[in-house]
Amino acid sequence: MNGYAGKILRVNLTTGTFTKEPTPADLARDFIGGRGFGIYFLLKEVPKGADPLGPENKLIISSGPISGMMIPGGGKCDWTTKAPLTGGYAGASMGGHFTAEMRYAGLDSIILEGISPKPVYLFIDNDRIELRDASDLWGKTTFVVEKQFKEKLGEEYQIATIGPGGENMVSYACINHDYGRQAGRGGVGAVMGSKKVKAIVLHGTKSIPVADMEAYRKAGMALYKACKDAEGLKEWTTYGTTQVVDWCDQVGALPTRNFSAGSFEGVKGIDGKAMREKIVITDKGCFGCPSPCGKYSRSKKFNSYVEGPEYETIGLMGSNLGIGDIEVVAQANLLCDDLGIDTISAGNAIGWAMECYQKGIFTKKDTDGLDLKFGNVDAIFSLIEKIARKQGLGVLLGEGVKRASKKIGQGTEKFAIHVKGMEQSAYATHNATAMQLAYMTCDVGAHHNRAWAITYDLQVGRDLVTSEKVARVIWLQNFRPMFDVIGGCRLQWVELSIDRDLYVPALEAITGIHRSWEDLEKVGERIWNLTRLYWARENEGFGREWDLPPARFYEDAPTSGATKGQITKIEDLHRLLDMYYEQRGWGSDGLPKPETIDSLGLKVAVA
Amino acid sequence: MTATVRLGDSLKNMLGIEGLYTVEIGHNVFETIVSLGIKPELVAMVSVNDELQSKDYVIEEGDAIRLMAVIGGG
Repeated sequence: MNGYAGKILRVNLTTGTFTKEPTPADLARDFIGGRGFGIYFLLKEVPKGADPLGPENKLIISSGPISGMMIPGGGKCDWTTKAPLTGGYAGASMGGHFTAEMRYAGLDSIILEGISPKPVYLFIDNDRIELRDASDLWGKTTFVVEKQFKEKLGEEYQIATIGPGGENMVSYACINHDYGRQAGRGGVGAVMGSKKVKAIVLHGTKSIPVADMEAYRKAGMALYKACKDAEGLKEWTTYGTTQVVDWCDQVGALPTRNFSAGSFEGVKGIDGKAMREKIVITDKGCFGCPSPCGKYSRSKKFNSYVEGPEYETIGLMGSNLGIGDIEVVAQANLLCDDLGIDTISAGNAIGWAMECYQKGIFTKKDTDGLDLKFGNVDAIFSLIEKIARKQGLGVLLGEGVKRASKKIGQGTEKFAIHVKGMEQSAYATHNATAMQLAYMTCDVGAHHNRAWAITYDLQVGRDLVTSEKVARVIWLQNFRPMFDVIGGCRLQWVELSIDRDLYVPALEAITGIHRSWEDLEKVGERIWNLTRLYWARENEGFGREWDLPPARFYEDAPTSGATKGQITKIEDLHRLLDMYYEQRGWGSDGLPKPETIDSLGLKVAVA
Repeated sequence: MTATVRLGDSLKNMLGIEGLYTVEIGHNVFETIVSLGIKPELVAMVSVNDELQSKDYVIEEGDAIRLMAVIGGG
């Protein structure tokens, strides 16, 4: 089948056996790959009510047809599972070189099933597939494990590994790859840890069949040329995602002290310029990338090296914790990556704990003696370690802010910054109604990557509640995640403004199937509805209430910064949801109507 | 005594305008953006002679200024 490596590998960890099956042609036709494959297998194969950390849950790793191809950004793979953090759908995207190597090993997807009786790592070298003992690796941090494999096997092997966070099944443990790329959100690392899989190590030398080689060459070259000629290439490559730090501060979107404000007095110490001047030593890109956004950094203060930090980590581990020193943020980034926990959720959890301490809800008796004031560097470093190792206060914080605030009560739920149990990424949404709606309705929880609508808020009026804004969010949600389906990176389109239509002939040349963006958006819409149905299947009473943000965004107007005194009323949030549900073809309860499921051809998928 | 201001592709597309201006020196970039009728919050980055500058930068003779939007986020 053109555009596909051709096989799906199932690894039964309980029995230690493997099966390979052909990648189904109808699956490729209807769901293309990546997170399309992920939600299909999750919905069909993981039984209702499965424990996310139990043997019935599966970890589904999927590439797409442009993964590993000479297409800009063809280095993305999707990790789908039932999320330990939220109890709903998790679909985490990871860059680097893993997905290319996976395809060269002949695999479109790897599905981890069951639970191994002892720590193992999955070794794949083309058709040689083994589960090997990982007892000596258990307990080691991610950088140590990756370095050990690289030294032992060679640079050509690609490694994805968990750290102590994953082993300890921290609810937001991540999976690390290439010393700084992560499948970060939802707790995919905890699922891998629950299965006792320390790492996946793979290498391949096979080729991927292409429908029209000459057309593929031309389409690929056109995409690379568009990137090379893009006006913003120099700035993007110089600063990466950190280029938005100052801007977010100016528009009140930079999370500050647990999202109590959106502007930070110490922003100049953590912005892109500070980072480039103080710590960046080189740029680092993923497979086939012409515009590397990764920055490799050295902190003299801590005598350490790390990939990053990128914007989300600067927001959550910097301003959100009252930190105005890029070297501290870089060190916090390093600790999280090495220990294997998500910087976004960890930054939120620590920010929530600091606010509890500020309000007198936590005292030193609750914090293991830590003085949890905003800006206390030692306390932050200590809490990261405690979270990953499940020690002291870290046990509570490792459950995520939704569960932690429910346990503590005393009004702490109001400033537990999450939607559906997933901590919010680094955009403060006081009075930014489209961006707020994007977070409220995102299919994994409060994550920005499906629909990033804050510039649209600023363009048309940030407080407006209109059907046009809702339509914009839906369009983004159908369109942007398609990059996670085809196995590519959206940042060339997002940040370099290259023409998205350039991907159409490339995809056609590779697969032999013509799909316009309208066709692709229809696939995106189908996947969006499936993820919604999955949430509803797994959570009794799922619906509108799950879509609401924390009260901070409709009750606590910031007292400083660009959004001082600005807030969105709860009534307006409900109006947004009313319009959103209607435009999606969902009922007022927030669930897809039967006729919507039917019209999208999803009856079979949900049967 | 003038300088040039050019809008990046993303900002041009967002605003639907051509985006090449000759401007007077002595004002800062923020003031100049406002005088051109552009919402300052839509401008994420200011490049002056290929160096990143803040909107407080005071425009000098012959400066080539480029204004860029953030269109999509991470």
